[in-house]
Amino acid sequence: MAAVAAGSRKLEGTYSIPVAPVSTYQFKSVADENQGTTKQNIPFIYTPHPVIGLSPEALDKYIVGNDPDTGKPVIDEIIDVLTKPIKEKKVAAGAPVAVKTAPTELFLKPDTEDNLQRLFYERGWTDGLPIILPTEERVKKMLAGTSASPDEVVAESFKFDTREMVKYTVSNIAVIAVMAGAKPEYFPVILALAATRQSSLMPSTTPFEAMVLVNGPIRNEIGMNCGIGAFSAVNMANSVIGRAWTLMSIAHGFAKPRQTLWSSQGNNHTYNNMCCAENEERSVWEPFHVTKGFKAEESVVSIFRGWTFVNSTGAASNRSVTEELNIELSVMPPLNSSATIIMDPLVARNLKENEGFKTKLDFCKHLSKNIKMKNGQFWKTDYIDMLVASAAYNGVEPYASWKKLPDDALIAPYHIPENINIIVVGGETSPLWKCADYGYSGSAPVDKWRAHPAGAECKDSECGLPDAPGEYDK
Amino acid sequence: MTIQLLDNVMSPEVGAQKGPAGPPPGMGAAPPGRGMPPPGQGGPPPSRGGPPQGFGAPPPPSSAMAKRLDTLDKKTVYLVDTGFGGSYQFMLQLQKWFKENMPSVTTIRKRKPGNVFMDDNNELWEEVKVKGNAVVLGVAG
Repeated sequence: MAAVAAGSRKLEGTYSIPVAPVSTYQFKSVADENQGTTKQNIPFIYTPHPVIGLSPEALDKYIVGNDPDTGKPVIDEIIDVLTKPIKEKKVAAGAPVAVKTAPTELFLKPDTEDNLQRLFYERGWTDGLPIILPTEERVKKMLAGTSASPDEVVAESFKFDTREMVKYTVSNIAVIAVMAGAKPEYFPVILALAATRQSSLMPSTTPFEAMVLVNGPIRNEIGMNCGIGAFSAVNMANSVIGRAWTLMSIAHGFAKPRQTLWSSQGNNHTYNNMCCAENEERSVWEPFHVTKGFKAEESVVSIFRGWTFVNSTGAASNRSVTEELNIELSVMPPLNSSATIIMDPLVARNLKENEGFKTKLDFCKHLSKNIKMKNGQFWKTDYIDMLVASAAYNGVEPYASWKKLPDDALIAPYHIPENINIIVVGGETSPLWKCADYGYSGSAPVDKWRAHPAGAECKDSECGLPDAPGEYDK
Repeated sequence: MTIQLLDNVMSPEVGAQKGPAGPPPGMGAAPPGRGMPPPGQGGPPPSRGGPPQGFGAPPPPSSAMAKRLDTLDKKTVYLVDTGFGGSYQFMLQLQKWFKENMPSVTTIRKRKPGNVFMDDNNELWEEVKVKGNAVVLGVAG
């Protein structure tokens, strides 16, 4: 929508070329928002929704059929827009003013727990699950989990609906952490997540999902689960930290249906964003954060994002791991060669000790060379066509060369081994793995947000104690 | 029986410092951390704090609309698809309609260069200025 609005504005205003901009009716509200504040009255013409995935015959009907906004035939409107005068908008003098959200009181009126839970839900501040109500006392206790000043700005976020930049302080994030059910010792990880300035929810019609990975000593200090059932709903730290990211994304304004939340079906991975820790102790390879330039003794949170996630159901007893991955990854043509493979320590050990892959990168290079895909399958994937084809047309290799190949030619679409992420997680009950089209979105250090230096003993002996010692693998 | 809370409850939205649209000074850079992938690498675009291009930025200084054509007869109309899913096929069918119903109109189908979500170059618009008279641009969705 932004491309059509901005392109139309430029063609009309700078090149003096008349334009008939076309959109589907589903996005009329976005088109209205993109009108801008000049005198230009971008005359959007609407077809029914959707256009994508329809037969030529169905599109013919759209063209001669009526614009659902005006009731006039779409083709007549196209011709009229190009040949009949367009009225200019009346605009107020002076600089454009952003629409601002109404102020909210810092403290809500005391009420019953049921009423306050309902209030938070009705205001769109929750993920639909009950929250821990952020009382002043609880927030104060949470703030003790960091040495950072409560007023320190942690993150800045752009609110799509009000066009505002919003800065969030440590205190703001503490409220979210309480709501998620966090212990104060989780707070440094949650602050690091906030400091990535990324949202777990994307303003896309597609079902984006994200993953949170924690590396370094803090994993064990706060009792994160990286062993058996690491992705199961059994561990407080994994559940709560991942949930806090989505709650802060919601509070940052990314969950307003048809304003900032457009995902047609949504994605319930966003409830806790697959938050887990890497099983560094049982991995035969260096930890993920070390591959990204951090020291092993640093605690780091990393983010991955994509659409597609596959659980392996077999342990490669009849095919090699590479062959199995070839089959699984073939359903998700990679964007920029990205994939994320989360393997049990048993798989990593087998790959290193029996198949000779000394490092994660060695295995990634092997995958990069050996995973093949038919060229037509790659280019006819919607997001590849939308996001990569323009690079091919601009001569960017290898896409430009691939674009010239026949559909049945085999290409090696994971051509950048460094963009394949290997993470070791699991309890060694079966040599299985998970794979996803996730790309690596970045990392943020945790230690700067700690209440005490890493490894320091807490005075009250409460910080850093793991949950229920012995319940999970250490 | 419900519980009467004795303490005040804090709003998750309050205390955030709000400013007008557009990135404040210093915004737009990658978030902290040595592990940030360099531009152009990695998978799907991350959702960073700054507004995506095309949002929040002020419109170009010109506020004029182009003069409309007297007629499409014997004119050249560029049918430009944004690259968004379905746009290619829509413009194909639109070209077919013009050929069958207004054969005096010359249509040229093109894909907009650059990012599907933004107007990020002028290459095609320069061509239209020289060779064309009008544009149908879409389909946004």
